Amino acid sequence: MRQGIGGMLQIRCENLHFRYSGKFAHSNFELNVGEFAPCGKCTAIMGNNGSGKTTLGKLVAGVLAPTSGFVYYDDVNIATLKLGEIGKQVGYLFQEPSRQIFAAKPLDEIALPLTLRGVDEGEAKEIAAKMLAKFDLSHIESSTTFNLSRGEKQRLAIAATMVMNPQFFVLDEPTTGLDKPRRHILADTLKAMMEEGMGIILISHDAQFVEDMGASVRHMEGGVMLDG
Amino acid sequence: MDNTAKNLPDPRIIFALVFATSTFAVIIRSDTVAMAGLLLITIICGLVLGVNFIKLSKRLKRLLQVMVIITLLQSIFRASGPVILYIGNFPLLTAGGVAMGVLVAFRFLIFLAGAFMFTLYPVRSLIQGMVQIKMPYELAYMVSIGIRFIPQFAESMQDSLTALQLRGMVFEELKFKKRMSIYSYLLLPTLMSALKQARELANSMDMRAFRANPKRTTFYTLRFKARDWVLLFCVALATGAITFAIFRYNFFTMIFGF
Repeated sequence: MRQGIGGMLQIRCENLHFRYSGKFAHSNFELNVGEFAPCGKCTAIMGNNGSGKTTLGKLVAGVLAPTSGFVYYDDVNIATLKLGEIGKQVGYLFQEPSRQIFAAKPLDEIALPLTLRGVDEGEAKEIAAKMLAKFDLSHIESSTTFNLSRGEKQRLAIAATMVMNPQFFVLDEPTTGLDKPRRHILADTLKAMMEEGMGIILISHDAQFVEDMGASVRHMEGGVMLDG
Repeated sequence: MDNTAKNLPDPRIIFALVFATSTFAVIIRSDTVAMAGLLLITIICGLVLGVNFIKLSKRLKRLLQVMVIITLLQSIFRASGPVILYIGNFPLLTAGGVAMGVLVAFRFLIFLAGAFMFTLYPVRSLIQGMVQIKMPYELAYMVSIGIRFIPQFAESMQDSLTALQLRGMVFEELKFKKRMSIYSYLLLPTLMSALKQARELANSMDMRAFRANPKRTTFYTLRFKARDWVLLFCVALATGAITFAIFRYNFFTMIFGF
């Protein structure tokens, strides 16, 4: 099982509000993610464009700071954590993969964060090569990342986040640009990680993928969790 | 268009002002006091226009940190005059070196303050201003796109840093040298990505028949009001006065540094 702070990681939100230039994205929004997205389970958040799904994901992953309210990992308020400390526990897949790919080569994209966390360089490259093979990306190992297709970038971003073994994974539209076989690979990999105890928050419009993941579905509208 | 909505002067006045201050900032080579005066004038102009220097400076915190390092390096490597700090027997800082470092920093701040003034205007009115001073439309449009790419480039760099941190990198725990190597590692892909975006944008513009017609017409034109004429006169007068001061009193000192 993946160990969080004092066991499995539970994420909890209290009175979470976020304001985008004068407009409340989440108005009087109260959410206890730990209750409905426990470790080893997948919770899908669905809703129309602009309903606040991505904002919620970013708030939970600490990418955005709430205007008011709190996000807790177990009993720790994430406002007291550095983003790097959050990243050790929670993985986040951006909606637009090219925004999170920072290395010039796919192999480095996966290996660099591992080496910076103390993994031996040779070992890191070996792990990275295996991860690329898992997502059917071995053929682009030495290509430049900015010339990859949308689907390849998406798979690379997922592989690069997964290799860090997060306890919780927030995925924003992970199936965009993926064909059917690759979607199956993604679903199988995520399910395998869930069996090890990883919790998932899946933000998606892809009802089929949500069903394949066996996720419990929550709906958002106008910055409010409808069934929250 | 809405440059008047914010009660701002015609953007062409700002072109003239920024052109004058930037030109003086370049030609003044050794007089730190003169550069400080020029910076003060530029900042006062910015404040009168309504530039929020504090807010913008917070957004450019990293750039300002780099500027402090450059100032320090200038101070060390352009040593002259009495020594004010020794490390062992090595004279680290000299009065002349510090003055030169500060002068370079002031010059940079003048450019930055000028750029901040442009941020007050909608891009459309800046383009129109450039076109009306007879700059070719294509060039004006390219400049405006270039201006828009600067925050995009910064955002892209920030995204890369965020992505790295989200994979468990605690930057604060890394040593300075390691941190610098990561920045340099991120720079090339970010730059390449910006270039790729620029190429895609150019293709997209071609596909939408940009430059297909010999001349573009527009309903929107800028017109000088009485206030703008007064301001233009003031800018011209101040430019003339500063030019006269440079030539009359210490031309060689300011320009050539002797």
